[in-house]
Amino acid sequence: MGDDPDRRKFLKVATCALGGGVGLVMAVPAIRLVLDPAGKQTVTTPKEPLDLGSIDRFKISEPPQRVEVIAPVIKDAWTAARNVVLGAAWVRRIGPGPADLDARSAICPHLGCAVGFDATKGNYLCPCHDSRFAVNGDKLTGPSERGLDKLPIEVVDGRLKLTWVLYRMGRSTPEPV
Amino acid sequence: MKARLAAFMRERTATSERQPYMIEGGASFAYVFGQVLVFLLLVEAVSGAALAAFYSPSSTDAWASVAYIQDQATWGWLVRGVHHHGASAIVVVAGLHLVQTAVAGAYKRPRELVWWLGVLLLVLMLAWAVTGYVLRWDQAGYWANRVEIGIAAGTPIIGEKIRQLALGGNDYGNLTLTRFYALHVILLPVIVTLVTIAHVVLARRHGTTALRSRPAAPRWPDQSLRDALAMAITFAILLGYVISQHGADLASPADPAASYDARPLWYFRWLYELRELAGSAEQIVAMVVPGIVAGFLVALPLLDKRPERAARRRKLWLGALTGVLAMIGALTVMSFARDSGDAELAKRRVTAEKLTDHARKLARENGVPATGAQDVWSTAPMWKARTIYAQKCMGCHQDPKDRKGPVIGPGHGSRAWIKAFLLDPSGDEFWGRTDLVKNSRLAQQREAEEKARKEKDDKAKQPDDKPGKPDDKADGADGGDAADKPAKPTGPQDLAMPATTLAGADLDAVVELLYAQSGAADVDKPKAERGTKLFEEHCDACHSLAEGVAGASGPGLAGLGSRDHYTSFIGNPKAAIHMTADMSQMPRFDKELSLPDRYEVAQYLVWLRTATQADLDALGPLEPK
Repeated sequence: MGDDPDRRKFLKVATCALGGGVGLVMAVPAIRLVLDPAGKQTVTTPKEPLDLGSIDRFKISEPPQRVEVIAPVIKDAWTAARNVVLGAAWVRRIGPGPADLDARSAICPHLGCAVGFDATKGNYLCPCHDSRFAVNGDKLTGPSERGLDKLPIEVVDGRLKLTWVLYRMGRSTPEPV
Repeated sequence: MKARLAAFMRERTATSERQPYMIEGGASFAYVFGQVLVFLLLVEAVSGAALAAFYSPSSTDAWASVAYIQDQATWGWLVRGVHHHGASAIVVVAGLHLVQTAVAGAYKRPRELVWWLGVLLLVLMLAWAVTGYVLRWDQAGYWANRVEIGIAAGTPIIGEKIRQLALGGNDYGNLTLTRFYALHVILLPVIVTLVTIAHVVLARRHGTTALRSRPAAPRWPDQSLRDALAMAITFAILLGYVISQHGADLASPADPAASYDARPLWYFRWLYELRELAGSAEQIVAMVVPGIVAGFLVALPLLDKRPERAARRRKLWLGALTGVLAMIGALTVMSFARDSGDAELAKRRVTAEKLTDHARKLARENGVPATGAQDVWSTAPMWKARTIYAQKCMGCHQDPKDRKGPVIGPGHGSRAWIKAFLLDPSGDEFWGRTDLVKNSRLAQQREAEEKARKEKDDKAKQPDDKPGKPDDKADGADGGDAADKPAKPTGPQDLAMPATTLAGADLDAVVELLYAQSGAADVDKPKAERGTKLFEEHCDACHSLAEGVAGASGPGLAGLGSRDHYTSFIGNPKAAIHMTADMSQMPRFDKELSLPDRYEVAQYLVWLRTATQADLDALGPLEPK
């Protein structure tokens, strides 16, 4: 009976179907789980303005100051971490009014290195690929497609409130991520 | 086409066309167990790989990441459940595989090595389960591991070294988890894979021991279909069980300070029961008995040496094996029966389950603090205030027996509460248990006078007259049962406030006025306004409503029930603006508690005003004790 070719074929097909089915049912939940974080906001940073301290330290015609942007709470998958440094901003005073401040993200719009201020030349320099930016943020030389990104700020009761925004890199105009 | 592809592959892989692998005596469901075990190992590998993409082996993050898998990641509970219960399935099927092999006499010469490798695999599986159970870093896994390592540490001479190596140092911590994780996902998988390959290759070389005198059948597809069917059935049962249980359990975070009714995984329950029965000899039993069982399994092919395979002619050794398995089974049943008959344990488990649900809910809603999962409790609403309250305030204000001050509970400071207070300030719920009512100076004075009078009377009338019953006034002075009548004799309670004589709409108006002091949003302003006049007539003699002004003989009531008022009161209840030293036993807390801490407690008291007992219960337990 074991030699009947139809029966053997049926056995083979049945085995493959059954085995394949079991394998699929086994693999699908695992694959689904691994795909879960894609498209999810697994790290949530605050969207509201963050307090960056008093505005008194920003004086007219002084070089920009590097200010660390610290989130009171961020949620990173399962962790709720407090006082997390998100990045830095360059802030300088551009007028006499309390809110006459200019804040630029320290993230280079080219490939995301941290931009420094070159005090001797009076402009910004990205240390990775030598992009230079004027003190007002405009692009000067180097590979960056655009100037330093402006960050939304407001002044409340003499304190600087800044909204942290990440922009896409390598574009000629700033687009929030 | 198929033949050409096969030829192509043979040439590329430098293999020759082989004769199909034949099974002596034909295909049988008796042979499926080995294949099912390999399949289950694959299930563990696939689910384990997915879990490893989420798990974080650190003492601060481990529990949090497992809770994330269980409660937040899509199908995480399913994959984790398959992984957890899949290990149980391996133990069950391995047991069946062992019994089937023994009954068939398949461990006999020349297949001893195959059997021994199988026994080794069984031991490795159990060790694998142990290394996995601790990774969740919850109360269950943590305490089970402490016991297991405790047993291992009892090994003579090298015990302490084993413990230190397992824990990665002197105590449980990050290195414990990284070690067990490395064992669980790298070392043991590699070792088990190698041993399994050796086991399978040797088994194939020897072939199966023919069960019947039927013609041989090719493995593919005759046996393969039976294998696939068995895998499908096994997986269907596993999946069904996982779904019915919503995956695997996860208790609250590991806490070395909180007691927990730790139980080992079910396949170690027989050893757990054995230790219970062994009493003081538990250490020896826990080490020796598993050794004897493993030794018996290893020795079986050497003891049962005759080539005879028929089960009915090997009654002695099969009987011995049955005895060992029956003992393990009976002990397992006894262990579970002991637990299910323990009412106290059941109560503790209900409490533990509540804590678990609370911790998981907090982790899901608030995230776990970066300081570690044991701090997840602190993310509960008003946790800090409630903790301070439980430590510093509850004894005097809530404890039914030892309470010394007024009750503070849901509705404290509400209109109903203010009204009840005004009607009976010396009631048991209010000042009744305070020295203010119990030992007011006038009350003491009266008591002393009474005593003196009695002594005088006794001297005059002695010896026939018994000490007289204290009259009504003396009873009132005693103040012991101040709660029984709303209208109290006001005389003896010189410092304590007398019950109000106001009633009806007048009383409600004064209540509204006092309620308005809290700054509550729902104040009836005209009503409170009416109360002002009544206050001047009835209350102003002792109290004041002016900001920062104490009353003539009672506390200033401006801001009563507001956060600032509570903060100030908690800081120093004996201040002139509040109760003064004469009227308050409550200690001042302005040294013990920082201003922000007092603010938090005050905020909690404000919250209590509108809270119900259900609201309070909904805040959940503070943390395990």
